[in-house]
Formats: sequence, structure tokens, C-alpha cells
Amino acid sequence: AQADDEVIKWKVQSHWPGSSSSYKDSLERIKKVLAERTDGRLQLQLFEAGALFKAQETFNAVSRGIIQMGTISPGYAQDKLPLAGVASGLPFAFHHVWEAVYFHKNMGFEDKLRAEAAKHGVYYSTDKIYPTEMVLKKPVNSWDDFTGLKIRSSGALQKFLTDAGAAGTYLPGGELYQALSSGVVDGAHWGASQGAASMGLYEVAKYHVKPALNIAGTDVFIVSQKALDALPEGMAKIVKDSLEEQFWIRTNQYQHDEQIALAKAEREQGVKVNVLPDDVQKKLFQAAQKTWDKEAERSDAAAAAVKDLKKFLTDLGYL
Amino acid sequence: MSIEILTLLFFGSLLLFLVLGLPLTFVLGGVSVVFLYFTWGFDSFYMVASQIWGTMGSFTLVAIPLFVFMSMILERTGVANDLYRMMHLWCGGLRGGLAIGTLGICAIFAAMCGISGAAVVAMGTIALPAMLERGYDKKMALGCINTGGGWGILIPPSVMMILYSLITGVSVGQMFAAGVLPGILLMVLTSAYIIIRCYFQPHLAPALPEDERASWSEKFGALRAVALPILIVVMVLGSIIAGITTPTEAAAVGVLGALISAATYRKLNIPLLKEASIRTFKLTGMIMWILFAAHAFSAAYQSMGAQTLMEGMMASIPGGPWGIIVTMMLVLFLLGMVLDPVGIMMITLPVFLPMIKAMGFDPIWFGILFVINMEIGYMTPPFGFNLFYLKGVVPPSVTMKDIYGSVLPFVLVQLLGLAIIMMFPEIATYLPQTLF
Amino acid sequence: MRVLSSFINGVTRLNDFLGRWFSYLILVIFALLILEVGLRYIMGAPTVWTNELSQLLFGVYAVMSGGYVMAHRGHVNVDLLYSHLSVRAQAWLDVFTSVLMFIFLFALLYFGISMAMESIQSLETSYSAWNPPIWPVKAALPIATALLTLQCLAKLLGDLAVALNLAKPEDVRLELEGDNEH
Ligand code: NA
Ligand code: NA
Repeated sequence: AQADDEVIKWKVQSHWPGSSSSYKDSLERIKKVLAERTDGRLQLQLFEAGALFKAQETFNAVSRGIIQMGTISPGYAQDKLPLAGVASGLPFAFHHVWEAVYFHKNMGFEDKLRAEAAKHGVYYSTDKIYPTEMVLKKPVNSWDDFTGLKIRSSGALQKFLTDAGAAGTYLPGGELYQALSSGVVDGAHWGASQGAASMGLYEVAKYHVKPALNIAGTDVFIVSQKALDALPEGMAKIVKDSLEEQFWIRTNQYQHDEQIALAKAEREQGVKVNVLPDDVQKKLFQAAQKTWDKEAERSDAAAAAVKDLKKFLTDLGYL
Repeated sequence: MSIEILTLLFFGSLLLFLVLGLPLTFVLGGVSVVFLYFTWGFDSFYMVASQIWGTMGSFTLVAIPLFVFMSMILERTGVANDLYRMMHLWCGGLRGGLAIGTLGICAIFAAMCGISGAAVVAMGTIALPAMLERGYDKKMALGCINTGGGWGILIPPSVMMILYSLITGVSVGQMFAAGVLPGILLMVLTSAYIIIRCYFQPHLAPALPEDERASWSEKFGALRAVALPILIVVMVLGSIIAGITTPTEAAAVGVLGALISAATYRKLNIPLLKEASIRTFKLTGMIMWILFAAHAFSAAYQSMGAQTLMEGMMASIPGGPWGIIVTMMLVLFLLGMVLDPVGIMMITLPVFLPMIKAMGFDPIWFGILFVINMEIGYMTPPFGFNLFYLKGVVPPSVTMKDIYGSVLPFVLVQLLGLAIIMMFPEIATYLPQTLF
Repeated sequence: MRVLSSFINGVTRLNDFLGRWFSYLILVIFALLILEVGLRYIMGAPTVWTNELSQLLFGVYAVMSGGYVMAHRGHVNVDLLYSHLSVRAQAWLDVFTSVLMFIFLFALLYFGISMAMESIQSLETSYSAWNPPIWPVKAALPIATALLTLQCLAKLLGDLAVALNLAKPEDVRLELEGDNEH
């Protein structure tokens, strides 16, 4: 451990651009909290998305101890964390954020993720749980409307949307606005309301679709275990406790901010909420279960997690 | 060591090794690695490899080889030459006519493509030999391609504007709309400069001799040469506007158009494709290895604490809002000389934008000023992407000294444009306010 | 000298040969993108794989060009000072500045191999909807760097020979087809 009065500087690579609300509300918050609680001895040096490492490389960089801390989506570390696929959100599983929170924290799912990350010398702590929701240029009023959609998507959700009958297509974030504006695609998901607003998507797509495609712990802090171990007596606990507290504060705050962002889009940009008709929801739920089963095939750990999830949803009366 | 001294040493080393003649990609990469070693340690080299891996995965860059490939085909099939012959016949009486025509083609290229590298290489291949052959002054021809080639980020679509919107939260559509009039302004100013300069110094851009000027029937006959290029432009722009393709995919549509043109000229054959492929490979390789190293260089500078430097500098500026804006422009101009635009964006915007908003300026207007500064950065020595891309395509008779020497008047014209937009913000804000 | 020039010629020919083959990837990338546009717009059925495959191929294409461009002396530099120097002085200067070049290449090679090994061991895939293996693309980075390093080594040895007055520039450089055009 280092001397007690020495200032320790940690490089923190974010996967959020500087303008993202989470950069300020999550990253700068934890920086401030840690500085306060360590009497200024632990200083986080923040880097915007891509400044040092791109999102897909950040887990490796933290794992190697090249940087001390980072933020990622679990999807970026799927080769290291077999459970990441489940963590990034199985489609149409949870109906409410609290359910996903309960599954993570009370039913031990996050502990399992933490154990997987620990094998790579990384301490894993979820920043928040939040929904991913679509925006569309035209509303979905029938199953035919849905299957006619071309949707900009990525990863597991792209596969799901395609399997369910729409056409999921990947485009880089930088081309999303243009593609949506000109009609290359009819819809997209970029987080939920705040994400869509930050990308300007409401300018060109006026329908915000409910319910969420998924609800998941999609933003995560990762800390190098080596860096934690090198901290003076007691400071590692401060870091871990602050991250744990951050999860509860941010998850709740984010839901509040989502609703505010959506209300603002409705008021100022003429956005309408498009609730999917019951038969569309039912068909998507059936398609979703096939996606869960495929995710379960990925590893024993994933199979166990999906089994836990199904039991939980059965108990809740959804399955 | 303080970030001020590090900055001086960092860019000083860049300059030194550039002058010593080491290829740019190795200068950028080598300087990054050496400075990372002393500021961060051996492990940080992982970042250099990782940045290159990140650049390899950038889908937007796929447009570069495609547009270069398109140009190679157009050049070899004679389409490009016929186009310049047509322009010469029509503007033959006007001194500098070909240079202005070239600027026009640059603007069209800019409307087709969201990045700038491809346009510079394409115009360097097509336009430069055509102008030199017709007796144009080297520096006039180089300067005009260097300038027009950078408009790709100002005239929509523009990847740079999308990045700016992402960082600042302003509307992409409004940014795109805001770029149109300033783009036209810069084109008018640059054309005016060429006309005025060539009026007084005719040897720079000779008009077609009286006896070679074409009759109207010849002129209209030559017009056939524009049919195929127009077909390509319609295909590319049409597919973007009609929502058939994204701008990157549209580059492939451009290649399709070039192949159709080659077939029309009865030149579409295996040797042509082979030759165009290998030339494209060489030029794309040159561009990509510069980008690889440039991204590592920016990342290295950021890891050393570039943003802290910005914060410190901006905190100590006197002179009220306009003093601050002018200082920001100066900082952007200076950084543009030595750093790549994405890096500049990440270092400066987080510091500049809160100040801009606090002073009540329109962030869209500032965005246009920012993008024009980046466009100027592409063309200013010692490190400007356009300059090096040009060097990669020019015949051996054109040296880096010629290229560097061509820059000054054109940069001054762009700066004049920048100043006009600073004084009359409506040029940038009129369209976005009217359309949205 | 014979050994030296056969090394230089061998490395240069190898890079030239590989480059010719890799250059055709542009045709594949073009075909993939047109295919995607056609499928999406005409058939209304975008694929999950064309854009990602063209991006992966582009990565290989871009990085593998390094050695080829070097063999053709296509990496641009500033020739302000250069053009005023004698041939031997140029060679000495290049020997000196090559130190920086090799530092860069070494860093790239070392961590390129490290990244690639990690990727190969886990048979890394992209985890996109299509989920193709990406370890071959990651492996392209150190392979391309190695080819580029070989070409740079050939140039260094040639420069040393010229600097020490053991050879003339034309003896230690293999002229390739297409060197004087672009
Ligand atoms: Na453009
Ligand atoms: Na510059």
C-alpha cells in the first residue's frame, strides 16, 4: 500500500462521450464523491469515449492494469465474461426497472458477474439499470407494421429484431441520424429517451415505442484489482462502497431523467408514445424466449442465469 | 514535467523529425511512443496498438478506398480528361476557368462524401495533371485542390459535424443546414480570389488562345463529356437523399457509376480493374497509415493532460466575449497546424463549449466556425492531412516545398471567410432557423 | 553485398507480391456494399453480415498495405531539407531518423502480437448479431507490422551501405513496376 498522504491518480476511460448525461451524472459524480471521501487523495482523471481506448478495448486495458478504471457496457467484454450476454439485456424479460434491480442485487446475478470479472483482475460494479427503447418514423399498429420495419440495431437486439420478423441492420452511430432522416432505416434504439434526444433522433423519428426492448445493467464501472490493492488501508472499501451507493442513486435518478426527457420531447418536438398493440407484444414475447434459450447455450453460467430468470418471471406471473 | 513544457517538446519533436524527412506516419507514431514511455511507461504502448485496431474498425473510412477507386477508373478511362476538355472549351476565355471548375467539382465531391481525404486524392489524380497540362501554375493548381478538397467536412453530409453534434448536443440536421451557406461563401471567395489574381497575373492560369477557342457546335459536342460524371453524381447524391444508402454506402454507388462509365467508353476490362485496384491500394495505404499514427498521436497528447492545458489557458484570457472567441479561433488555428481534427475536438470542445454557452453565443454558429477551422487545419503546414495526401499523388516534379508554398493565399482567403461568418452569424444560422 | 541486395530484393518482392493480391479486396468490399444496398432497398431484407464483413475486410486491407506502400516508397515525407543533401548525407540522415521509426514499429509489433495472441487464445468473435471470428483481423495487425518492419529493415541496411560508401543507391533499391506513377 502507498503512503497515507500521497495523491493517487487514476486514469478512467469512459465509454460515454463528454456530452452524454451519464458522463456528468455518473462519472463526474463518482469523481467528486471519491475525492471528498478520501480527502482529495484519490483523484480520477477522466477521458471521454475513445480518447485513450475504444470501448471494446477498455476491459482489456483495465484487466492489464494499463489504466486503473473504466466504464463499459458488458457487451464489450463478452469474450471475457460469459454472462455478459445476459447482463446486456435479454429482450422483453422484465416489465419494470425494479424487477431487473431485484434480479441483479437480491438474487445474486451481479455477484456472478463480479466473480467472472475477478478472474481477469477486474472489479465489476454496475453503474445503473435502465431500459432500451426504440424510436420510429411511423407507428406500429399491427404485426404487419412491425415486420415491415428496418431498424438500426446492434448486438443481441439486432438478432432478436431480425428473428422476430423485422429487419435489424447495423450502422455506425455517426451515420444513424442521416440514415434515419433519409429513410435508409425506419427506426433505431440508442438508450431510451435521453439517448435518442442526445443523438437528435427525435428530429426525424416522432414515435417513441413502449414497452422497452429490454431493461438491463448496461452501464458498468470496471476497476483494476491491482490498482485497488495498491490503495492505502481502507481506501479500497471507500471505492467499493461509493460504487455500490452510486448504483442505487443513479438507477433511480435515471428513471426520473428518462421521463423528463420524454415529456420534453412530447411537448417540444411533437413526439408521440406508440404503445405496441397486445398481439404484437405477445408475438415479440414469444420470439424473445427463443433468444433467451440461445443465450443459455453460450455457457453453463448463462444457462443457470437464464433458468433463474425464468423462475423469477414465472413467480411474477409473466411466464 | 508541466504540460506546457511537454506540449512544446511534443510538437517540437514532431516538427524536427518532419523536417529531417522521416515519413509522416513514422514521425507521428514514433514521437507518440517515446513520449508515452516517459510520461506513462512501457505498458502504455498497448494504447498505440489499440488505437490502430480501433481505426481499422471504422466503417466510415471505407468510403476512402471506394472514392479513390472511382477516381482511378474515371481517370484511366478518359472520362476525367474529357470533362476537363469540356470545361476548358467552355471557360477557355476566362483566366483561371479550370481552377474554378475544379473548385466546383470539389464542392460536388463534398456533397457526396462526409470526409475529406478521398476528395483530395481524387482531385489530385484527376484535376492536377489536367491543369498542369494546360499550362496552369503549379502553386495555383495545388492550392485550389488543397482548399476545395477540405470542404467535405463543411458541406453536408459531414462526419465532423455529426461528431460535433454528438459532443455538444446540438441538432445534426441544423448543423448540416448551417454548413451550406458558409460552404457556398468559401467557394465564392476562393473563386473570386482566383479570378482577381489571374486577371493580373495571366501566366498563372492561361486562357485558351483565341484561335483555339471552340465554336458553339464544338462546345455543345463536348458537353457529352459531362453526361457520365453527372450520372455518377445523380446516382450518389440521389441514393443518399432518397434514403437508399448511407453516405458510406453511397461511395460504392459511385464506383458502380464509374464502372458504367468505363463500359460506355468501352474500356471496362481486367487490366483496368487490376491497375485501378493496385493504385487505390497504394493511396489508401498511405492515407490509412497516416490516420493510424495520427490517432495514436492524439491519444498520447490527451493522456499527457492536454485538456488541463486548455483549461488553464482559457481561464486566463482577458478581453470580453469577443476577445475569448478570437482567442479560441487562434488556439484552433494553431492546433490545426499540428494535430488531427478529432483530437482537437476532444481536447478543446469540453473546455470551449461551456464558455460559449455561458456568453450566450449560438453553439451552431460556433460549430461552423469550428468546422471551418478544422478545414483550414487540413491545409496548413506542417501537418495537414490534405498536404500529405496531395504529396502522395503528385508527379515527382512537384515537391513538398511546392505544396507548402501554395498554401498561404488560400488559407488567407479561408480566414477571410471565417471572419465574415464571425461578423455576420446569419450566414450560418439563417438556414437552420428557417428550416427547423 | 550480394547477400544484402538479395535480402532487399527478396523482401521488396514479397511485399509487392502480397500487396497485389490484397489490393483486390477493394472489389470484394465494393461488391458487398452494393449487395447490401440492393438487398435492403429492393428486397427489403438487409443482411446482418455484409456491412460488418466489409468493415473487417477493410481493416485487413488498410493495415496490410503498410509493407507494400513502403516497398514502393509511398509513405509521404517532407522533402524540404532532403532535396538539398547529397546522396550519402541523405542516407546518414535516414539511418539516424530510422531509430524513431523502429521504436514505433517495435511498440506496434510487441503489443500487436500480445493483442493478437490474446484474441487467438479465446478465438475472439465480434459478438455482433452476426458474430464472426475477429481474431484473424486482429492477427493481421502484427503480421502487417512485421512485413512493414522487414521492408524498413531492408531500407536501413541499404542506407547504411550507401552511407558507408559500400554501395550506390540504385544497387540497394529494387525498382518496381508502377513506382513513378500513382
Ligand atoms: Na460533405
Ligand atoms: Na494543419
